[in-house]
Amino acid sequence: MATLLRSRLVPLLTLLAGIAASASAQSAAPPTTRAHVERLASPSMEGRLAGSPGEQQAAQYLVEQLTRMGARPLPGQTSMLSPFTFTAGSKDGGSSITVTRGTTPSTFRSSTEVQALSFSDSAEVSGPVVFAGYGIVVPSSATFGYDSYQGLDVKDRIVVVLRYFPEDADATTRAALARYSDLRYKAQAARQRGAKALVVITGPRSPNAGAVVPMSFDTALAGSGLVAASASGAVAEAIFTALDDKTLEGVQKEFDAGNPHTTGFAIPNLTLTVSARVVREQQTGRNVVAYLPATPAAAASRPWVVIGAHYDHLGRGSAGNSLAAADQAGQIHHGADDNASGTAAVLAIADALARVPRKRHLVVAFWSGEELGLIGSTAFVNAPPVPIAEMAAYLNFDMVGRSTDNKLTVQATGTSPAWPRLLEQANVAAGFDLVLQEDPYQPTDVSSFNGVGVASLAFFTGAHTDYHKPSDTAEKINYDDLDRIAGFAGTIARRLLDADEPPLFTKVEQKTDTGGRAGLRIFTGTIPDYATEVKGLLLGGVIGGGPAEQAGLQKGDIIVELAGQSIANIYDYTYALDLLKIGQPATVVYTRGSARRTTTLTPSARK
Amino acid sequence: MTPRIWPALALLCIGAVTLGAQAPPAPADNRERDYLSRVRRLTVEGRRAGEGYWSPDGTRLVFQSERDPANPFYQIYTLDFATGDTKRVSPGTGKTTCAFFRPGTDQILFASTHHDPRSLQLQKEELDFRASGKERRYAWDYDPEMDIYAVAESSGTLTRLTTARGYDAEAGYSPDGQWIVFSSMRDAYNRTLTAAEQKQLETDPSYFGEIYIMKADGTDQRRLTTAAGYDGGPFFTTKGDRIVWRRFDEQGLIADIWTMKPDGSDKRQVTAFKAMSWAPYEHPSGEYLLFASNKLGFENFEVFVVDTAGTKEPVRITYSDGFDGLPVPSPDGRQVAFTSSRSGGGAGQIFLAQWNHEAVRTALAAAPPR
Ligand SMILES: [Zn+2]
Repeated sequence: MATLLRSRLVPLLTLLAGIAASASAQSAAPPTTRAHVERLASPSMEGRLAGSPGEQQAAQYLVEQLTRMGARPLPGQTSMLSPFTFTAGSKDGGSSITVTRGTTPSTFRSSTEVQALSFSDSAEVSGPVVFAGYGIVVPSSATFGYDSYQGLDVKDRIVVVLRYFPEDADATTRAALARYSDLRYKAQAARQRGAKALVVITGPRSPNAGAVVPMSFDTALAGSGLVAASASGAVAEAIFTALDDKTLEGVQKEFDAGNPHTTGFAIPNLTLTVSARVVREQQTGRNVVAYLPATPAAAASRPWVVIGAHYDHLGRGSAGNSLAAADQAGQIHHGADDNASGTAAVLAIADALARVPRKRHLVVAFWSGEELGLIGSTAFVNAPPVPIAEMAAYLNFDMVGRSTDNKLTVQATGTSPAWPRLLEQANVAAGFDLVLQEDPYQPTDVSSFNGVGVASLAFFTGAHTDYHKPSDTAEKINYDDLDRIAGFAGTIARRLLDADEPPLFTKVEQKTDTGGRAGLRIFTGTIPDYATEVKGLLLGGVIGGGPAEQAGLQKGDIIVELAGQSIANIYDYTYALDLLKIGQPATVVYTRGSARRTTTLTPSARK
Repeated sequence: MTPRIWPALALLCIGAVTLGAQAPPAPADNRERDYLSRVRRLTVEGRRAGEGYWSPDGTRLVFQSERDPANPFYQIYTLDFATGDTKRVSPGTGKTTCAFFRPGTDQILFASTHHDPRSLQLQKEELDFRASGKERRYAWDYDPEMDIYAVAESSGTLTRLTTARGYDAEAGYSPDGQWIVFSSMRDAYNRTLTAAEQKQLETDPSYFGEIYIMKADGTDQRRLTTAAGYDGGPFFTTKGDRIVWRRFDEQGLIADIWTMKPDGSDKRQVTAFKAMSWAPYEHPSGEYLLFASNKLGFENFEVFVVDTAGTKEPVRITYSDGFDGLPVPSPDGRQVAFTSSRSGGGAGQIFLAQWNHEAVRTALAAAPPR
């Protein structure tokens, strides 16, 4: 086996190198990775938002490229285009709340007074009202328990709760509560207790006081099975005037102490009618999937190898995942690194492997909808055109165009005991300063394949300050190293195609999710560098004008302590974010070079 | 990690660093870029790897690695730089360490215990211990069964070169391939020990380590050092006219780099850091030696260079927390293989870097006198 591989390694590298050359002996040289990136990141592709005309144009380009190299639609398919539908957004279709006290109804229907929550059922319900504090239920443990519903009967009632979590509680309590303060958790808790509807109000003592929750883009739209809406301070006022002895502010203050024994109460003599209308826009995205058949037909029964990259990006950033500064909002997000680079790497590898003998079929896949939540790759593995058991391995490329200092991160190495040797062999010639991460639970399509038990690797060159901004452009790509990455990963793909046995899959246990929910409402303006492993949180950059920049933090700083919590890794950091309060200065200890420094960062509210 | 490497005490402290600390180390300081470029991890597979030595033509490396799931101890592998292929050249059973290519032949020497009938039993015991989830500090045990072998790569023929009771290892060939210099603890077994010496043998046999030389066929074995304390890690210089090695004091706390002629005469001390300085290897230019020292912190070994005569203060090369050591320059002097814990996860792996000879020369020229 080893000698066989040895004899074949060099020709493949030569072939990959030959892609950059102007001509090859066999046929015209395929386009360079630079040509692919420049095309995909060009203004005419409009940022390749899933479901958009720009995405369709990019898909067409990929189909042409695959056809040129001799790839075919998967068996049983007539096209390389593999469409999937997804919810591209939600908007409020005219929700209202009517507060009836005695016989006087008052109805609120303006969008600044009432907004359905994006996961609400569309329906109208009426009923008596129970106020349940912050509406948080923390599963009780030996050390901590918190249940806003303790002693309350909310069956067939309409539950009114405060947004966020107690503002004045001590740090540990806040951290514990924050994790269960997401509106989805609150809706789930209300539904499980038999409530008819959930109405969320932003208390006068909270950030964004009195404001409705804007309808957020939410692609994971399994209906919550509950009518859920947010209401303004005026609506809250109308509800709370039913109480002679209490004001909303006074009530919130009691709850803000975080005392688990503060309980909610029924609001007498009041009926609430909640009419929620959520309009969900369905769209169609397109994966582009083809395969290069095994060259000896007899070998076709062996498990297949899959290489893939997402080719979609953010369009003009309308989906809420843009990090563009205000003066760049709405511009085309070119996504040269994210992920024209990975798309180009996959094309280059496929081009090279199309010209050599293959003992296994090679699936070449380009995913859409990755930026909206791995939608395309999830659709693929949920309804696989090739049985999952027939997939030997998956190699993923997402953001591979910004290698610096010869660094290359390879993630998901824990998914097979075969990876270390393959990486070692291939890297002897490639010569990358490899950063290896076992964890396959990454925010890219490798998660989808790991999730169904396919041994996987993900290639990545790190986050940068142009991440998810219009400034992620083609001229910033490191094409020399992009080609080297294609050569390196292509060698691994080649060995997988040639190997007698597919790599064994091993399951990596997922680290407990300590990612705090408060992170969703707090804005610090830090851009963590996920690629470089350091003790602490290495900043890949800071967002211009954001709290981190104002605190004097800069790219390369390593945060080692935040709000009194020591920070060893990204998990510690997200956990510590739970302890921050909007507008309240927090102490940050960080290292810059060999100096240890201290500064003060004042988080703002995430809009 | 290994013997050519570090003595018992150093082993213990490295063990504490590497097995105890699971957090990844800080990234390497930029200052090492003055001398090293394109630093990158060469070995990936297995729990740990180290002691990489170049073939005379620079196309391969021979090293030791714990990468066989059935054997928890080091075995010897060659790595081909053209293909990336690795191949085991040692027997597969028992413990091995410290390999070296024999110039002008297809032979590779290494030390091995595979003749010990308890080998498989010891492997199983170690595997069971690791499976139990318990951890202990890594320590090299100076197994008295360790003897030096040479294997012919083409035929696989294995020739035993030493048989003396006591640890024989840490061997290297002369540039003409006719001689082998090595370290042996046989002195602990070939005479009657005093009560104090007997106690010493039980706690730290490395105290008895001395430098020996023999012909490449194992004949004509001669002792070159006699000072009390661990003498080990010897190599010939590129010209073959001297031997570099490291000498520990009697307490095994302080080590320094020494050189001598191959007949044992003209012994000269090259470093005086009052720290553990060891793993010397001459740069092929003959101008300076590379070595490792924990001068900057008991658990923080770094690579240094010093002029061959030791007239100047050594110059620091690496800047990363944890372990950097066992620097071995390539035959053309333009690369260096070294062992480092900088990739995190605990144990060391072999790293490769481009070596900036001119910058090193300049820095040495500017170094103050010792
Ligand atoms: Zn992205």
